[in-house]
Amino acid sequence: MIQHFVPTTLKEALKILDERDCYIMAGGTDLMVQKHRGSGLLPNFDKDVLYVMNIKELDYIKTDAEGNLRIGAMNRYCELMNSSLVPDIFKTVFKEIASPNIRNMATLVGNIANASPAGDSLLPLNLFNARVVLSSVKGNREVLVEDFIQGVRKIDRQKNELITEVIIPNCDLNFYYRKVGSRKAESITKVSLMGGYKIEGGKIKDLRIVFGSISVKVVRNHFIEEKYQGKSVNELRARIDDIINEYDHEIKPITDQRSTMEYRKKVAKNLLRDFLKHVK
Amino acid sequence: MKISFVINNKKVSLDVEPSMRLLDVIRNELHLTGTKEGCGEGECGACTVLINEEPVNSCLYPAINAANKNIMTIEGFRETNEYRVIADAFADRGGSQCGFCTPGMILVTYSLLKKNPHPSEEEIRFALSGNLCRCTGYQAIVDAVKVAAVKGIKL
Repeated sequence: MIQHFVPTTLKEALKILDERDCYIMAGGTDLMVQKHRGSGLLPNFDKDVLYVMNIKELDYIKTDAEGNLRIGAMNRYCELMNSSLVPDIFKTVFKEIASPNIRNMATLVGNIANASPAGDSLLPLNLFNARVVLSSVKGNREVLVEDFIQGVRKIDRQKNELITEVIIPNCDLNFYYRKVGSRKAESITKVSLMGGYKIEGGKIKDLRIVFGSISVKVVRNHFIEEKYQGKSVNELRARIDDIINEYDHEIKPITDQRSTMEYRKKVAKNLLRDFLKHVK
Repeated sequence: MKISFVINNKKVSLDVEPSMRLLDVIRNELHLTGTKEGCGEGECGACTVLINEEPVNSCLYPAINAANKNIMTIEGFRETNEYRVIADAFADRGGSQCGFCTPGMILVTYSLLKKNPHPSEEEIRFALSGNLCRCTGYQAIVDAVKVAAVKGIKL
């Protein structure tokens, strides 16, 4: 018999996780689909389940002394979309995730934990160098979202750890975001790209590019980004074809029910070109 | 596990598995069958109910997450004046044909108009974007929401 745990304090939750391997349920919008068996049947859980939505300590959206945004594991997209603390570019992304009903249930931390190659919130999190905080009875550790997600549904979480919050550093850039899907609403991404840049005195001070749905995880190449820092905008624009070629080996999409490898590869490059043309 | 909540203004306490879908609690335990099951995976919105006035898909909502919350299904909403205005507008504009999506459409319309009494067409379509209808082609539903907004729900 599997057991269900509904802790109301973080301490209690961490103690439970220290003693047993559990599925962790927040809003349920991924897990309830993955474990669904049919109408009128209980979801098919093969191990214990720990529910986090009653841990009030994990319910907050705040900025800390260093100006970082901190979001608790309980906080849902609908709350983030209504918060004045959340950067507009995140809200742009959230607006195109699933549907209003789902956004009233789904949490940001849940989207990270689910580690889907098509997870849309992972693009701005990666671009902003956001970190997750993992808590256990032994203490806390912080990991970059970029490193935390290791592959398709593979994350750097130990069985005794709970993702308790996301830390998003302040990031003052100009942004570009395009999600390509089949519809306006409820579409799972075929290809997406987010770019960020800052120009000072005609030179590139900061350049960041992330792709979604074209590999096992969000693609970001720091080496290429750094190569163009300090270059002039004119030089960057003259080298758009070179840059697209440099990313060629990173763009490794698959063919699945949503799209084909060829289409994704073509669109990813087109989005990159479109973004680079926006840099001015 | 004992789970207590308010549904349609009545206090209820049930002994159910925490992972049971709220949809199954509503339809099979409480026998309120106005809430429909369409896709069962959060895409269609036929199972929409309001929790603390926010629309959610009850087919993905674990029962335990509803503990101590306020749930409204179409049966409870039917007793309100706001229901009358919205239902009349749907009837007037042909916003309901087979009727399967209608309970969800009506609850989402209410939640939209409560927050935004004079929505633009774009805002209406955005609010209804998680509720699928295979009959109307949506225009009649959008028109119905506009009519309901004009008639003004005294909220």
